[in-house]
Order: sequence, then C-alpha cells, then structure tokens
Amino acid sequence: MEIISLSCKETEMIGKKLAGNLSGTEVIALFGNLGAGKTSLVRGIALGLNSEDDVTSPTFSIVNEYMGKYPIYHFDMYRINTYEDLYSTGYFDYLDNGILIIEWSENIEAILPEDAIKIFIRYGKGESERILRFEGIDEI
Amino acid sequence: MKILGVDSSAKSASIALIEDGEILSEFFINVGLTHSQTLAPMVKNVLDNTNTNLKDLGLFAVSFGPGSFTGIRIGVSLVKGMAMPFDTPCIGVSTLYSMAFNLLNENAVVCAVMDARCNQVYNAIFDIKDGKIQRLTKDRAISIVDLYKELKFFQKKVIFVGDGAELCYNKKNDYNLNAYIAPKSLRLQRASSVAFAGYNVVVKNGAIGADSLIPFYLRPSQAERELKLKSNK
Repeated sequence: MEIISLSCKETEMIGKKLAGNLSGTEVIALFGNLGAGKTSLVRGIALGLNSEDDVTSPTFSIVNEYMGKYPIYHFDMYRINTYEDLYSTGYFDYLDNGILIIEWSENIEAILPEDAIKIFIRYGKGESERILRFEGIDEI
Repeated sequence: MKILGVDSSAKSASIALIEDGEILSEFFINVGLTHSQTLAPMVKNVLDNTNTNLKDLGLFAVSFGPGSFTGIRIGVSLVKGMAMPFDTPCIGVSTLYSMAFNLLNENAVVCAVMDARCNQVYNAIFDIKDGKIQRLTKDRAISIVDLYKELKFFQKKVIFVGDGAELCYNKKNDYNLNAYIAPKSLRLQRASSVAFAGYNVVVKNGAIGADSLIPFYLRPSQAERELKLKSNK
C-alpha cells in the first residue's frame, strides 16, 4: 500500500490515522532519509494515541518514552551498529511492553520481528511531496 | 545462615529468604517489567514479615544472567547496594542453573530455556538424579533448531523449564521429541531456587564481595548478531 503526502502536516495526519489501527504491542519500523518526515509521522501516531508528550527525534537519548493510550517507545537506531549496542538500549525488554516506533530501522533490519509494520518513506516529485509505502499492514 | 535470593532476570521478579534449607518467605510477581519500582519494596516486605534485618543476612544470591539487560542490572545493583553496608557476602548465580533447582525431585534431563528473541534461546542442559544436578552444557545462546538436534540424543525424559519452555515445547512434535514441560508453579525462575543454587555455588567455590559482583551477559552466535540485511552492506 502506498500513500502520498504533500506536507509535514499530511504526514502527521497519516500517523494519526495509523494509530487507530494499533492494539498496543506493535513494532513500527521506519525507513527513509533525513528530512523524509519520520518524526512527523511519529508525532501523528503519538497524537492519535492521545499522548500529550513532546515528540522529538531521540538522536542522543536513543529512546524516548511517551505516555498515551499505550506506552510508546520511540527509538533512533542511527548510532546502533552492533548487537551489544542494541542489547544495551534495552530494546529486547521493550518488545511486547508497548508500541515501538523505530527510526533508522535500516540498521537493525535483520532482526526486526516478522510481524513488524514497515513504512518506507521516499521523496516524491514536489519539494514537500513524500511517498509512504506500507508493509505488514493492509490498510489504515 | 540466612540467604536472601533475588531474581529479576526476565519478566517475573521474586525475593526469597531461606535458612538451613528451608524457605522462610517468598514474594513472586509476574506483571510485566517494573522491577525498578517493585523489587526493593518486595525485599522490605520479605524482611519485615520475617522480622529480619539486613545485617542478619549471611549471603545475597542473585541471578546475574543470562536474561534481560535492564532486569539483570536492577537485581545486581540492588544486591550490591544492600550488601555494602555490612560487607555481606554475595554470589551471582546463573539464571539457568537456578531453574534446575525448581525440578530437583525429578529423574530427568532438565533443559532450561529463556526466550532470547529472534528464534534463539538462552539455554543450559542438566541431568538430575537423586536430588543431584549434573551440568551437561555451559550457558549459551542457541537456536531452537540446534537445541532440538542435541536433545534428540537423550534417552531420558526431557523437561523444559523457563520462560522459553512453552516456545520449545510447542515445537516438539515437529522434531519428534519425547519432551515434557514443567508445571506453571515450577516453570519460571524463582528467588528461592536462586538462593538454594547460590548456597551450592558458595559451598563449592566461596562467595564474593559486592564490589566484584557484575552482570553476566551471553552473546548470540556471530550470524545471529547481524543487525543489517546482507544486501544493505
């Protein structure tokens, strides 16, 4: 499934809509370059789960926690290069205890759960146009 | 000697006080990962309800791995903190070895398994007979498929114990294995078993000080540690 977004705001709305399909323990793996709108999408998901927490990219903290309808664990795997790196973030302890949303999933793609929802974001024609391709979920 | 057993190596957590081979008190919870909030109050509860002071304890036994990264750190650091004021001796116990003590009355091959994700389990195999435990493998991370290949060689009945027991037991028919699963009351790691196991280790090898107590982490095999897809390299 592919959805075209024409702005950050629209990407956020797509996230909000996706949130309505979640049951609390999903792993959502995001793929896409800098500026693709990954954080906007996460902000939308958090809003859709009634979280009032500030959503920012966890570049330095590696994981941010937001409280909403379900706990949300927002990961940035940009600096995760080895299994030990990943293990020491507590990633495996978070699984099944909330919704995991993972930026830079490219870095841990081989060990993502089989039922993870994958979202690939790429640039479209216009400057702010983005194409979101979904795998592991049929519709939102 | 009073021994306080501490386990927070996976999803469940427990605290137990044992003395002279008897369990004086045990507190077990299994409601998700909130060990940082629950473990210390559980200790207080167990000590208060048995009229025990920290300084009465002769040994701390803690399951120091394998298991959850955060869980193990919480248990080990709690024990370090409690042991330092009175220089109480400590011992780190393999979580897998401790679970063999759950099934001490069996005459069987006990296969302790903890879910390590990605179709891997932390595992060790023990032979139990007449209340004695003989270790057959070291603690390791192994794929469920490889574990089955090893288990096929045992003539004795095999019993799975641990939070990976169900995972392994459910696949036994695929591999034509005559295996059993520990009942729920004995299936998960228990602080009382950690305390008994700790006592056994200390009798053999002696205790250590709080400053030498560190977590014991297991790494999966090289192939399983790959995070990136091969095509992305």
